[in-house]
Amino acid sequence: MDLYEYQGRQLFMEKGIPVPEGIYALTAEEAGEAADKIGYPCVIKGQAKIGHRGQAGAVKIANNHDEAVALAERILPMEVRGHKVHGVLVCEAANILHEYYVSISVDRTSRDYDVLATAAGGTEVEEIARKHPEYVKRLHIDPYKDFTLADAKVMAEQIGFYHADNDQAAEILLKMWQTFKDNDATLVEINPLAKIGDPNDESSKMLCALDSKVSLDGNAAFRHDGWKRFDDTTGEDPLELRAKAHGLHYVRLNGQVGVIGNGAGLVMSSLDAVADAAEQQGTDIKPANFLDIGGGASAEVMAECLSIVLADPNVRDVFVNVYGGITSCQLVAEGILEALKAIERTAPIIVRFDGNAAAEGLETLENAHNDSIVVARTMEEAAAEAARIAAELENAQFSDATKEGENL
Amino acid sequence: MTLFVTDNAPVIVQGMTGHQGMTHTARMLKAGTNILGGVNARKAGQVVELPDATGAVRKLPVFANCTEARQATGAEASVVFVPPRFAKGAIIEAIEAGIPLIVVITEGIPVADTAYCVAYAMRKGVRIVGPNCPGLATFGETPDSKGTNLGIIPDGIVKRGPLGLVSKSGTLTYQLMGELSDIGFTAALGAGGDPIVGTTLLEAVQMYADDDNTKGVVMIGEIGGNAEQEVAEWARTHMTKPLVAYIAGFTAPEGKQMGHAGAIVSGGKGSAADKKQALEAVGIPVGRTPGQTAQIMRKILTDRGII
Repeated sequence: MDLYEYQGRQLFMEKGIPVPEGIYALTAEEAGEAADKIGYPCVIKGQAKIGHRGQAGAVKIANNHDEAVALAERILPMEVRGHKVHGVLVCEAANILHEYYVSISVDRTSRDYDVLATAAGGTEVEEIARKHPEYVKRLHIDPYKDFTLADAKVMAEQIGFYHADNDQAAEILLKMWQTFKDNDATLVEINPLAKIGDPNDESSKMLCALDSKVSLDGNAAFRHDGWKRFDDTTGEDPLELRAKAHGLHYVRLNGQVGVIGNGAGLVMSSLDAVADAAEQQGTDIKPANFLDIGGGASAEVMAECLSIVLADPNVRDVFVNVYGGITSCQLVAEGILEALKAIERTAPIIVRFDGNAAAEGLETLENAHNDSIVVARTMEEAAAEAARIAAELENAQFSDATKEGENL
Repeated sequence: MTLFVTDNAPVIVQGMTGHQGMTHTARMLKAGTNILGGVNARKAGQVVELPDATGAVRKLPVFANCTEARQATGAEASVVFVPPRFAKGAIIEAIEAGIPLIVVITEGIPVADTAYCVAYAMRKGVRIVGPNCPGLATFGETPDSKGTNLGIIPDGIVKRGPLGLVSKSGTLTYQLMGELSDIGFTAALGAGGDPIVGTTLLEAVQMYADDDNTKGVVMIGEIGGNAEQEVAEWARTHMTKPLVAYIAGFTAPEGKQMGHAGAIVSGGKGSAADKKQALEAVGIPVGRTPGQTAQIMRKILTDRGII
């Protein structure tokens, strides 16, 4: 679960990581008031869960009230590479003397936590890592040990905050770790961690987090009150939200073949099989969604799944792919038939069963003599059939639309 | 030689008295697993009665903790069905009891808890399999032994044979086992779909590489991380046995978690295309579908005269 900059900043403040003064505003009017309070010049930062907001024009400097309002009006309706801007953060403009990059993340390979840091911050760290790997320090935190101030001091020394106070850098590293650990984060990134202040006044110089990027572990929500305070459903797909409410994992894609299966791997594999079959058939049919029905496949769950998948108007047909491990395909078959009685919209349903009671399940479906059910023997065959039928229906609809056009 | 666990090794089940635990304890016993008891502090002293592979009823005592269970049963493996919020405590308990193999089925454990347990287990020389996996099944060290079924992998799909399997996904494991059921397996290990796991794809491949009875390895990967690339890198200079891979998630969009906690392409990293490229670059064939993956393996084994 990714946080907005203003939310991540809140977590930083709770741990005492210095951040510039800032006010979150949802409207241009609020942004104008916030800017008056902060003072000029100030920075208007569009809040979107994606990097490079500055390059996209969603971060701008305002020199007076009118500019602040005008910029907020321009930034608020923006979309940054598909991510809707949700409010602006109005921040005090800092005099930047030097920029660093520091992040803590889960390292899947070394199975510990990775601290990535460079004194060449401010821009894309991957870019620097590729061009000048010697500028990027990669250090590790052992999940079994505690990370103390003494460890942070050694680490700050290794990273080399040459233009800043090593003790303050160590403090910030420690507080970043606390932010990471206490919030069950999977990523805490500060880019830039900037040295700010008056170049002629040593005492004014300090390190300050000018941005925040924080991701939280969805599996740990149970011990953080479900992260209700970060709840934000704006911009989320309504069908994804509906599935989530039923404890189902649904991801909407932009295709025509609805896909339902059991087990995340098998469902991903089914999506690939549909795309692959369509490519071989020379059509541009694509999978419409990912939906993992999970271990059980009762009639109610199947009905809800079919109903969610068919609520997407782009869906032409549905590919149901179940491998009965513990789950009996016979029960899944009964679930499908029950579900078809309960839902309004129908579409061809291409079913492939394998494993536990697969033959019985397929027989049950065939005996039901339901015109909308197509039974296939293998996964490849089912995917090809689903892609072919979807293409046919798509063409039929297209020619209907053309005819209507001619009649007008 | 022994692959992962010896035949007839004593096994305990943590979370045995829960719904999942009970269902699968009954199933594992029927499959021939030598389960001798369970652990649940609140139900210590109770006895659960279930039939084993011979049909005889086994009395399975519920112990208060893993140390007691290990002392009483000599458990060499524990299967964990404990819910996510109690999983860390359960795994630590098993590590501290000195149980050398801990198979964690539970899905939804916070990654920080897993990271801690895996780091602790590595210090103690304990192997964790999972979490968020279907478990581990071996098919016997000798032609007439039944092997050990630890977790939720259905028994009866395959018989003993020359293949080893490692997978990030449960149902795809069963699918591939089904496709190659006539050839058979030495073992199938579910590595799990979480970002951090106790046994990686690479570690499993290495163990199959060292096992004399395993003549070929099937690996099922999916989007997220670079566990598949690690295998490619190692296999380039070390792997002498045939290795065939399948990768799920070519159609997965960037930044979307596809069911498993670890199945996500982020920052352009962890895509199926990258994994396929890395594997093929070192000569490891990658099947387009599970069915085709099985065909490739079948052909290699036939060409080499292994089957």
